[in-house]
Amino acid sequence: MVDPANTPLGKMLLEEITPVVMVLRTPLVEEACQKNGLTFVQMLRPFCVFNNFDVPVRTASDQPYRLQKFRLRLFYDSDVRQPNLEVSKERLKQVITQAGEKDLSELCSELPQITNALSRSESEALPLWFQFFNKELVHTVSFSDHEAFDHPVACLVVVSSKDDQPINRFVDLFNSNKLPSLLNNGAMDPKILKHYLLVHDNQEGSSEKATKILSEMRSTFSSDCELLCINSSPDGVVEHQDNPWVLYSSEDLPSQPLRCFLNVDDFNEIKDLMQDFSSKHIIPYMEQKIRVLNQQVSATRKGFRNQIKNLWWRKGKEDVVDSPSGPTYTFSSIESQIRVLGDYAFMLRDYELALSNYRLISTDYKLDKAWKRFAGTQEMMGLAYFMLDQSRKEAESCMDTAFTYYLKYASSSQQNATRCGLWWVEMLKARYQYREAATVYFRVGAEEPLHSAVMLEQASYCYLLSKPPMLHKYGFHLVLSGDRYKKCDQIKHAIRTYRSAMSVYEGTTWSHIKDHVHFHIGQWYALLGLYDLAVSHMLEVLACSHQSKTMQELFLRDFLEIVQKTGKTFEVSKLQLPEINIPSLRVFFEDHRTYASSAAATVKERLWLSLEEEMVPSTSTARTNWLELQSKLIPKKYKESNVCVAGEAVKVDIEFKNPLQIPLLLSSVSLICELSASSDEMRSDANSSSVGLQNNDESTKLNHRDVDSENSLFSLSDVDFSLGGGETTVVQLTVTPREEGVLQIVGVKWKLSGFVVGFHNFDTSPVNMSGKQRQKANHPRSINLKFAVVKSLPKLEGVIHPLPKRAYAGDLRHLVLELKNQSEFSVKNLKMKISHPRFLNVGKRESLNAKFPACLEKKISQDSDIHSDSDVSHTVFLFPEDTTIQGETPLLWPLWFRAALPGNISLHISIYYEMGDISSAIRYRTLRMQYNLQVLPSLDVSFQISPCPSRLREFLVRMDVVNKTSSESFQVHQLSSVGHKWEISLLQPVDAIFRSQSLMAHQALSCFFLLKNRSKPSTSEDGTSACSPLLGSDVRLGTEGSCGPLFDIASSPLVDFHHCERLQQEISHKGDVNTVDFILISRPLKSDTYPVVSDPPHLFSHHACHCSTESTSPISWLVDGPRTVYHNFSASFCEINFHMTIYNSSDVTASVCIKTFNSTNNGDHLSDATPVQPATSSSNQDGWHDLPLVNDIRVTSDVLGPRTGKSSSVESVSPFIWSGSSSTKVKLEPVSRTEIPLQVCVFSPGTYDLSNYVLHWNLLLSNGDGLRSSGTCQGYPYFLTVLQSV
Amino acid sequence: MATTACFIIVSRNDIPIYEAEVGSAAKREDAAQLHQFILHAALDIVQDLAWTTSAMYLKAVDRFNDLVVSAYVTADTHTRLMLLHDSRNDDGIKSFFQEVHELYIKTLLNPTYLPGSRITSSHFDTKVRALARKYL
Repeated sequence: MVDPANTPLGKMLLEEITPVVMVLRTPLVEEACQKNGLTFVQMLRPFCVFNNFDVPVRTASDQPYRLQKFRLRLFYDSDVRQPNLEVSKERLKQVITQAGEKDLSELCSELPQITNALSRSESEALPLWFQFFNKELVHTVSFSDHEAFDHPVACLVVVSSKDDQPINRFVDLFNSNKLPSLLNNGAMDPKILKHYLLVHDNQEGSSEKATKILSEMRSTFSSDCELLCINSSPDGVVEHQDNPWVLYSSEDLPSQPLRCFLNVDDFNEIKDLMQDFSSKHIIPYMEQKIRVLNQQVSATRKGFRNQIKNLWWRKGKEDVVDSPSGPTYTFSSIESQIRVLGDYAFMLRDYELALSNYRLISTDYKLDKAWKRFAGTQEMMGLAYFMLDQSRKEAESCMDTAFTYYLKYASSSQQNATRCGLWWVEMLKARYQYREAATVYFRVGAEEPLHSAVMLEQASYCYLLSKPPMLHKYGFHLVLSGDRYKKCDQIKHAIRTYRSAMSVYEGTTWSHIKDHVHFHIGQWYALLGLYDLAVSHMLEVLACSHQSKTMQELFLRDFLEIVQKTGKTFEVSKLQLPEINIPSLRVFFEDHRTYASSAAATVKERLWLSLEEEMVPSTSTARTNWLELQSKLIPKKYKESNVCVAGEAVKVDIEFKNPLQIPLLLSSVSLICELSASSDEMRSDANSSSVGLQNNDESTKLNHRDVDSENSLFSLSDVDFSLGGGETTVVQLTVTPREEGVLQIVGVKWKLSGFVVGFHNFDTSPVNMSGKQRQKANHPRSINLKFAVVKSLPKLEGVIHPLPKRAYAGDLRHLVLELKNQSEFSVKNLKMKISHPRFLNVGKRESLNAKFPACLEKKISQDSDIHSDSDVSHTVFLFPEDTTIQGETPLLWPLWFRAALPGNISLHISIYYEMGDISSAIRYRTLRMQYNLQVLPSLDVSFQISPCPSRLREFLVRMDVVNKTSSESFQVHQLSSVGHKWEISLLQPVDAIFRSQSLMAHQALSCFFLLKNRSKPSTSEDGTSACSPLLGSDVRLGTEGSCGPLFDIASSPLVDFHHCERLQQEISHKGDVNTVDFILISRPLKSDTYPVVSDPPHLFSHHACHCSTESTSPISWLVDGPRTVYHNFSASFCEINFHMTIYNSSDVTASVCIKTFNSTNNGDHLSDATPVQPATSSSNQDGWHDLPLVNDIRVTSDVLGPRTGKSSSVESVSPFIWSGSSSTKVKLEPVSRTEIPLQVCVFSPGTYDLSNYVLHWNLLLSNGDGLRSSGTCQGYPYFLTVLQSV
Repeated sequence: MATTACFIIVSRNDIPIYEAEVGSAAKREDAAQLHQFILHAALDIVQDLAWTTSAMYLKAVDRFNDLVVSAYVTADTHTRLMLLHDSRNDDGIKSFFQEVHELYIKTLLNPTYLPGSRITSSHFDTKVRALARKYL
């Protein structure tokens, strides 16, 4: 533990709580001193500190002790009074302001680092002016009447030797009414020790006169008289090596250089004078007074009796109404005397005595509720404890009590509280209790914002100095202090504290804290006019998405205001508003690939490549070709760069995001580019451009200049838009180079709210070039933003209209492709390829102006024109050789569209063309078009074909149509079977099927048709009918009047689409030759609710291809013979002949074995008595009508199933038997028929079911050995009625 | 009675990973940053206290004017749950901390949650607010 006297507090106390000497002087004294630029007190003050002092002191106890150090405080009589509150406040404010001014240069420097702050020791860390400020603060409460240590102990009466009648002057000085109020109002004893001093100026003459006066004084005022001779230096300035006035409290002195007439003799004289004064007069006087007072106190207050008396007396006094400032104690009261005793003892460092007296008096004051005095004594007790270095707890509790009571109970004693707090803080600091000290600082000066600002700042340093340092608290208190400084308009201090706090909060993720600090420091810098610094701080808070809307508005508004005040357009790199999503950056440019729409450009390059594969010259040769050309034009250096064409825009999609909730106004959003024009010597140009690049990185001004000066070389698009709160917008910016050369896209710049120019340089360093290198159109991350600009080229623009965005499946439309070429150069050799020929088909030029759908209608005189190029769909469409597009006239070409499949589909169309001008760098280009469309399901058509059992080569067709739309109605127009092999006809009249003529939404419909095979029965040469021209047979499904003429399915678009459909559907029907294709043509019904739908004439075609006519077995047969026979059974049994026609529909040879069996050996056989109706598989289907012709309809697939049902026959004898062979085997050539005779013998009349036979068939492989497949078919019912003939 | 309550979870390196104003008092503009400042400043004290006791709940560790900071330190002492409040419901605060701790542990168990990163789960947020209503 350090000696308390050596701690800062100890030193302070030894300095502050010392005897006060009041100085009374005549003006002439002052005049003499002013020759040295000093007042009298100033002159004496350095000599009032006695560090080499050895005076024996004996106070109350008998044991004397020695004072090693001592000092006196000198004050003029005018100063011995309580300082004016306002004046002292002003003075303190001045102190702070002055300290602030000093630091101005620091405010602009780099931010302090927290490590620096930590490494500094206490004295370095604390600003020096704190101590001075604290001292000033303590002085604001000097000379209060409740504390005796500020009361003058002695009075020094000074008269100059020049004064006339000096003796009278002495008397006058003291007796005048100008004495301080302390002496007059009874707070202290007016009879104080007086000391008379005669000052003689040696320059004014010899000291003889002075000595004469002195002796006169001695006789008048007894021995307390001295003579002081000053200004002994005869010739003026004496330079003192160690000027005592400089060393001591320089701040009190005027700043001009001291003109010193004092020589060493004078120094010594003053020194001796003061030492004598203190040791021979003041100390003995105080000793004596202590002893006297102590005796008095002992007599009245010590001892049991006195205490009881005192207590009783106090109690009685309680009834007395207190005056507002508490009971007044005059100097003669015992309380004041005890206090004086304590203070004198304290000043003479008899702390024990002081403490005992303070204790004594404090209880009295407490009982009297004289809180201020009570607090004062508590304060002194705390200090006495501290100086005694015992019982820290006591000391602290005393200080605490004092502080609390000052604040709580004693009115208008905040200054006292402040002083008490400061002493308390020092006490804690002396014991390294920095944390506690900080809390005390926090409590000190809570009323006065300016004081509390300083106190809080000191508190923060306490936290910094505590071990371990409490940095969070340090920062917080700095911020609090900064706020208070700001309230008192001490902006420089505010900035200083915030800057220190920044070292704590730097890089913090506590968003509100960061915003607060940066925002305020920015504001304050702006108040000081340091706009650059202000903006740099404000930038930090701009992207404050976590703040509330009002805060965001405030931040942005203040930021813009500050920027406005700078008076220039401010340029900020990486401005955070708005955010730019760099990964989303997309660059679209056109080299030999051009795009009709931006959507087309986003399609994967791979898709286009595969589409164009057949069209473009084979890649290797083509590439070498244009690479060679390119390498001639462009130096090797730029081989890696992309190619773009002069006059054609390079588009960059940038995503801007507004992180705030308030709208942002962006203007002049444009790219930063540079273009080094190509000249003859490419090398040098390349160098110059690279130089330009470096410049660009350095400064933004250059960027501007580049743009301006090179405006002729390229043009930039300028976009203005506003971003709503939280909005994300993709902006397309373009740069259009005008000349050949190398174009580099450097970055993007924008103007925020018209003041702030933000720019963002794209990171062009090649990072991840592997793998993705060739995928130029879609650069994901590190983008090669360097372009080799080649000479301008013709460019085709194409559009298809009117391609619908949405269509119902089957919708057939007539479209027009329009191709334009803006340049004067022609293009030639056009080719086109379409990704989905099912959806889009190229028409013929003649049909361009054809009226749709009239052009599809069946002509009366049908000349069957053969489509030689019916399979054009999957290959490249070549435009006629002579097609060139140039200038204004566009090329129009018809296209047919048919929505083939429901779903979302993107149609890709690529058009290849070559340059008319062969010398250009790029020889060919492709135009890529993309259209997205949505196809909705409309009619769902399915066909089911089954052989007609009653007739060979005839089929029953069941068509199920379901309207799957939600609102549309369709009118089924016609059904056509494709190919002349087939002929289709209605089974019923149309009216029976379509009563309503239309198919409403969700409605299903089934109808039946008869399909005939018209090909020659025995020959199989027309198995290739699929390839023959589409001559079909049509069935009108509607009345003539309502539907109009039939459509020709052999007309151009229908047949082409049908071909595509065939190809598409072929996969699932491999190797089946007996198939039939149907085309159902329908039209949307003109409805009132959706009149728009039928605005362009619509036609829907539904193609069902490869509908199989086969049954499950390749073998079909027909039993033919008489149905009703009359026979006279009395004569004989009846023999009836049948013949069975067997048809092999497969393409291989089949061997068929017919086995008949009679009921005798087949117990399972059906009873003849019950006519069996075969079950139909479609009994549970909607729209199935019970048709009268049902007997003839048999679904082959179900033949075998129900036939084995149990129906036990009781007859043991069959009523008929198969005669002839029981087993017949025949061999059938592929697609051929044969007839087999059959015979039954019937023994009695009745109706017989001749179904008890089985056909076993084997399909033989073409080479004859081995089976491909085999099967068994049960016979189907054939009812024979035999009647008894009469 | 309108109460102020600001809850925050501070992770390693004093990074806040979750913040919520759970008090019923009307929101003032500067409240958010003041609360952050107070809580941030209290970290020093929490750091000191965390090593002096084995209990996780540290009770009221710091105060600023009439606002009190209570803290709860998880077992790894890196994650600190801190509540700034002006009510004196010690038991409620303790329960609140314990339940939020449980919630936090559940969040930690989420394989997609990177420990030390910001808790953005809306589920967590709703739960914390519900707990705050229940206990504070």
